[in-house]
Amino acid sequence: MKRNFQKKESGGVNMTPMIDVVFQMIIFFVCTAQLEKEMFSEFIRLADSPNAPEMAGEKDPRTITIEVDADGRTTIGGTRLTAPKLKNLLVKVVADYGVHGPSIPILIRADAAARHARVKTVMDVCAGAGLYKIAFVAVKDAAEGRVGRTSESRRSNVE
Amino acid sequence: MTPMIDVVFQLLIYFLVTFSTADVLAHLDVSRPTPDAAASNQPPPADMIRVAVAPEGYAINGRDVTEDELAGLLERLAAVSLKQTVLVTCADASLHGRLITALDLCAANGLTKISVMSGK
Repeated sequence: MKRNFQKKESGGVNMTPMIDVVFQMIIFFVCTAQLEKEMFSEFIRLADSPNAPEMAGEKDPRTITIEVDADGRTTIGGTRLTAPKLKNLLVKVVADYGVHGPSIPILIRADAAARHARVKTVMDVCAGAGLYKIAFVAVKDAAEGRVGRTSESRRSNVE
Repeated sequence: MTPMIDVVFQLLIYFLVTFSTADVLAHLDVSRPTPDAAASNQPPPADMIRVAVAPEGYAINGRDVTEDELAGLLERLAAVSLKQTVLVTCADASLHGRLITALDLCAANGLTKISVMSGK
């Protein structure tokens, strides 16, 4: 029989090294896939906005996301920035891009519990640097098991 | 084969437990007048919808309203024209979530020309 070699219990092809390598690869890809998403703070609880347009999958690669947490701290990519530093940074970025500088989109990820005064500072700095494409990030559809901070009051009022 | 199947099941259970779907995010585009223009204090054109966000409650065109009334009024104003500019003035002390609520109501009614200013 031709299939005889597959049925042999002892002396068959040793699968163990291959499985080891495949597991290593799976773990490698799982770890690297996670790293790409870790840029934004997970402690910011965004406000709910079920009616706003959904964020486009392909966004402008120049987009700068500015985060404002509940205590009013301003960060970009995890780096804390004061208003003057933020201003210097944005002015420099706008200058680097030349003619296309002012059209760099700005996304503001602000916590629902942040005071408007802090968000205002960020917006003023952006406007001062000549940036005009400013947008707020909100949660359109919360993942299961998680409910945004303002959703309770919203549901009773709007729907 | 048994140990391998055990390990694979463990991994499967681990990934099932740790799996979490990401939130679907939305963007609310606003335009921000430059600080100099805001400081010059010229009166806004009459055909604008002026929405004020206070720490407690909202106001539309100078009238204090609740969130429900704001939704109703915006719906009626949006029915007239979607090309109107909405000027949202937010108080410093109010929470960002309340500004988002107001912007969301505008988005719900199809008003897209939104300008955010900050009042005291």
